[in-house]
Amino acid sequence: MTALGSPTRRRPAPSRLGASPVLDVHGLVVRLGGVDVVRGAALRVDAGQLVAVVGPNGAGKSTLLRAAAGLIRPKQGAVTWNGSPASQLGTRELARLRAFVPQEPRLPDGLTVTDAVMAGRAPHLGLLARPGRRDHDAVSTAMRRAGVDGFATRAVSTLSGGERRRVLIALALAQQAPAILADEPTAHLDLGAALEIAWLLRSLADEGCAIACVLHDLDLACAIADQIIVLHRGEVAAAGAPGEVIDPGLMRAVWEVEAHITIHHGRPRLVALGPRRPEKP
Amino acid sequence: MTARQRLVIGGGLVALMFASVASLAFGAVAVSPGRIVAALTGSADGPDATIVADVRLPRTLLAVIVGAALGLAGALLQGALANPLAAPDVVGVTAGAAFGAVAILLLAPASSALLPAAALGGGLVAAALVVLAAAPGPRGGGVGGVRIILAGIAVGALFTAATTAVMVWRSDRAPAAVVWLAGGLTGRGWEHLEMAAPYMLVGTVAAGLLARPLDLLALGDDLAGALGVRASLVRVAATAAAAVLAAAAAAVAGLLGFLGLVVPHIARLAGGPGHRYLLVASAVLGAAVLVAADTVARTALAPSELPVGVLTVALGVPFFLHLLRRHA
Repeated sequence: MTALGSPTRRRPAPSRLGASPVLDVHGLVVRLGGVDVVRGAALRVDAGQLVAVVGPNGAGKSTLLRAAAGLIRPKQGAVTWNGSPASQLGTRELARLRAFVPQEPRLPDGLTVTDAVMAGRAPHLGLLARPGRRDHDAVSTAMRRAGVDGFATRAVSTLSGGERRRVLIALALAQQAPAILADEPTAHLDLGAALEIAWLLRSLADEGCAIACVLHDLDLACAIADQIIVLHRGEVAAAGAPGEVIDPGLMRAVWEVEAHITIHHGRPRLVALGPRRPEKP
Repeated sequence: MTARQRLVIGGGLVALMFASVASLAFGAVAVSPGRIVAALTGSADGPDATIVADVRLPRTLLAVIVGAALGLAGALLQGALANPLAAPDVVGVTAGAAFGAVAILLLAPASSALLPAAALGGGLVAAALVVLAAAPGPRGGGVGGVRIILAGIAVGALFTAATTAVMVWRSDRAPAAVVWLAGGLTGRGWEHLEMAAPYMLVGTVAAGLLARPLDLLALGDDLAGALGVRASLVRVAATAAAAVLAAAAAAVAGLLGFLGLVVPHIARLAGGPGHRYLLVASAVLGAAVLVAADTVARTALAPSELPVGVLTVALGVPFFLHLLRRHA
């Protein structure tokens, strides 16, 4: 497989017509520290769909994702999970509907991979209940799926960046939620590790999971996403299939770069030429 | 819990048992293990039986619950505030309790029976101020660990200043305050045990309920929130539970705050993370250390008593530094 070819799709993406979205966000305004970081953004993710949220630094990508996940309260707008407004869902109820993969959480020294993944069962366990057979099964399935079963007993702190990221995805899978939101799951990873994570997310979507992830790497986003949402200064600058969205005009307006777009296996690929040239009078 | 963690707790329980027997056996009068059993079951008379049942038993039990409470309080705070320096002192409880006690000792020495209640009240008031000050304001936002620590240091400074003011004003009576501040179990009996036990029970039950939420909090606020735990709520609840435990401990044993800082670290270095383990191990090790230290304090230079607060530090620091070096 060539790098950044499209991952093989196991089955065609389900038709979006008439399907009710797993996650539906619209008119979202999030205020942080007195500034509206997200201003009227929308995000819709169906089952079996991977939506990539892209944009320059400070565009509000992570804030949009965290507000969609219910981790910060929006100032305005609606967040709906499977048709229920997020504001009417309890935190544990919400935790059974969506998993969240943070960028780089601190993990306690000595925490083993299995223990970390078992944390994903918390929404299914009572305050004093011990993990049962179903929980152990869910944990081992999740670890196998994310490819971390080979180092189940190792301390998370001894793993490489890519392995640690896969542990976090295994934790999210153990949650057995129909949706996964991931904040920059490939940040700071080398090319091989980044592709491994990206292809894993793509195949999880193919298996029916609804996935939204913030991505920095536009080529990677174009390679794996069904839909791309381009955020610019807190607003949605463009949204749609990668081929419809990414063009030189958008690159100039949003990222302020001159770029050449080629099509590779039906998906756009980017050749950055340099910073935006000043407009001629 | 791993096999190693079970081993640490088992070892701690064995140490606690030996220390407790020693605490009952040794003192001005040495009592044999057989006589101790007889005295505890009420089948023996005589002065030695009375000493064991009425003097040494309540003091030993008090050392057990105070040591356990301080260990638990430290483990709760270090987990909730994600700060290895967190201890009852840091959230203002110790300074509040000290002010309550010193105010009674120096301003109303006639009502010294009120001393434990005043220390408990001072500690709880200080903790309440800290929690209120750190709670989300009208602008919202979460309660971060640093916010609680800063509020705790500020409130602690306020109470320490008030204590100093009282001690300067009534410097003629200050020696009484110095002895109390050093901490100890001298002359403590059943009434102290009865007073502290309910608070210890409440704090311990709360700690048990907080074990899993604290494990999730250790993964960071975002991940904890994604797993259905309200980070701010857990932080405030754990701080409040620790405050109740530490204030009750200070009310009956003075200031032994160091125990709360070091014991959870010893538990963590010996057995690793996981709050179900950490909380139990910190309680067991805290109890074992305080019972052992109190026994040594009573007997080493008998008939005069060493201050147990000084002794716990003297015993705890070398052991702690040894563990720290080995794991560095």
